[in-house]
Amino acid sequence: MQVSHPRNSWSEKFLLLDLLEGLKTTFRELFRPKVTVRYPEERMEPADRYRGMFKFSYDRCIACKLCAVACPIDIIYIDVHDEMIEEGGKKKKVKVLDRYDIDVKRCMFCALCEEACPTKPKSIWLTTKTYELASYDRNDLYFNMQELEYWDDKPEYTGLPADDDGKSLPAERKQIPGGTE
Amino acid sequence: MNKALLTYLIWPVVKFLIAFVIVQVIVILMTWIERRLLGFFQARLGPNRVGPWGLLQGIADPVKLLLKEDILPSSAEKIAYFLGPMLPLVPAFIVFTLIPYGPPPEFTIARVNVGLLLILAITSTAVYGIILGGWASNNKYSLMGGLRSAAQMVSYEVPFGLSIVGVLMICGSMDLVTIVRYQELNAWNFLPQLVACFIFFVSMNAENNRTPFDLPEAESELVAGFHTEYSGMKFAFFMLAEYSMMIVNSCLIVTLFFGGWTLAMFDLGLTTNVLKGMGLFGGILGATIFLTKVMVFMLVYVWFRATFPRFRFDQLMDLGWKWLIPLALVNIVVTGLFILAGQERLMYWIGLGLIALTAFYLFKPRRAPEPAAPQKVVHAS
Repeated sequence: MQVSHPRNSWSEKFLLLDLLEGLKTTFRELFRPKVTVRYPEERMEPADRYRGMFKFSYDRCIACKLCAVACPIDIIYIDVHDEMIEEGGKKKKVKVLDRYDIDVKRCMFCALCEEACPTKPKSIWLTTKTYELASYDRNDLYFNMQELEYWDDKPEYTGLPADDDGKSLPAERKQIPGGTE
Repeated sequence: MNKALLTYLIWPVVKFLIAFVIVQVIVILMTWIERRLLGFFQARLGPNRVGPWGLLQGIADPVKLLLKEDILPSSAEKIAYFLGPMLPLVPAFIVFTLIPYGPPPEFTIARVNVGLLLILAITSTAVYGIILGGWASNNKYSLMGGLRSAAQMVSYEVPFGLSIVGVLMICGSMDLVTIVRYQELNAWNFLPQLVACFIFFVSMNAENNRTPFDLPEAESELVAGFHTEYSGMKFAFFMLAEYSMMIVNSCLIVTLFFGGWTLAMFDLGLTTNVLKGMGLFGGILGATIFLTKVMVFMLVYVWFRATFPRFRFDQLMDLGWKWLIPLALVNIVVTGLFILAGQERLMYWIGLGLIALTAFYLFKPRRAPEPAAPQKVVHAS
């Protein structure tokens, strides 16, 4: 294909207008608003469908294990036992959750568990606007049922801890049931 | 105390120390200003964590470099390796003694009547440190960087020197103070010598290895060029030398083309008389005006760095030998003809006209380019 280049007129060549045009462009850029976010002080609000941290609702969960089946890397651990309860004179068999753990450190946040969940509204969902999941100990990222439901009261990240040679880190490690390590 | 001792030894040393401290402060500020401004040019914020607005960055960097390990490559040429970072500092600091910061005699450290020639001779030795450092590192990339620097220096020293000749012809003196006085009584030299000013600015960028011409330290080709093997304080000395040379060259362009310590362009000697009338305070005011102009040129350095991509090596040689040197020679001839015809005033108007024409073309609203007619696809058959 033939491409025609615009020919510079003598004035553009002689007066170095290309270079000056470049200087003009960068000079204009100098006063434009900057895109940097100073993270611990300023935060960006994620979009509504952002896949943040898990949230779990014990009351809504019917212990069907569909999320564990849907999980591509099998990091959802569910233990269930049956209980007989009286309801309106009839005896009814109800599944009761004993354990609902997610090994978030291996999670890839695909949200397939959320899609698989049959309850309405969902009892496990990812669309929270939380992204501050980093931890000093990988075992901190193994969440059990209570932790999945009530992590909201965890304080927001406000910057690096004071330089105390790791003394602020928890002394004893979190114990993981089943010992995935 | 002996009066001669006071005039010729003690006062110059004291003045030099003051100038030295001011220059060091500017260097420290520039490391911050350059990075901050580059950030602003690139839609980010730049270093802003150390101190208010990141102002202490220039102190934090040397402290970090001081604490770093000083590595000596096992196969390096030891003496040359140590000399490398120190040599480029010497010419920079010598030239600081020759520059008139304010009205004489209080604000010139050494008034030499061949000042300009001396400065040219001294500044061109700055490249030895770079070559020596590049060679002594015993590293291919360093050597390549050093040799590139040498070739670049040789090529651009010529237009650098030739562009000054026009100024010398107009002012009729090599004494920097006389040149400033001439500009004050007539007009700043960039008007009659617009082409020379442009050539001087381009070659001073090239001499400092600043970005459009930073082939000696081209990151994408040579790791870091001549200072690849240098770490810690030796690296800091290279940087100090580079920034000092930047300040030296900014001082030179301000002195030669932008009227030194004078405030207005056609003030017929008013500034100097007023400043002299105010005594020491007036001198400090003059030096402040001078340093402000120098800082403007330091910012222009950064502006250029943010705008222009690096030249290829053959393009660099092309620009130097095929364009700048002939242009400088033509400029000398034309200036000579104007002086011969006694029409020096005419040169101001030509310079003014050139600036006006450039501004007109630059800010002229452009028509959107016509959509090109669909091209017929030609297949090779």
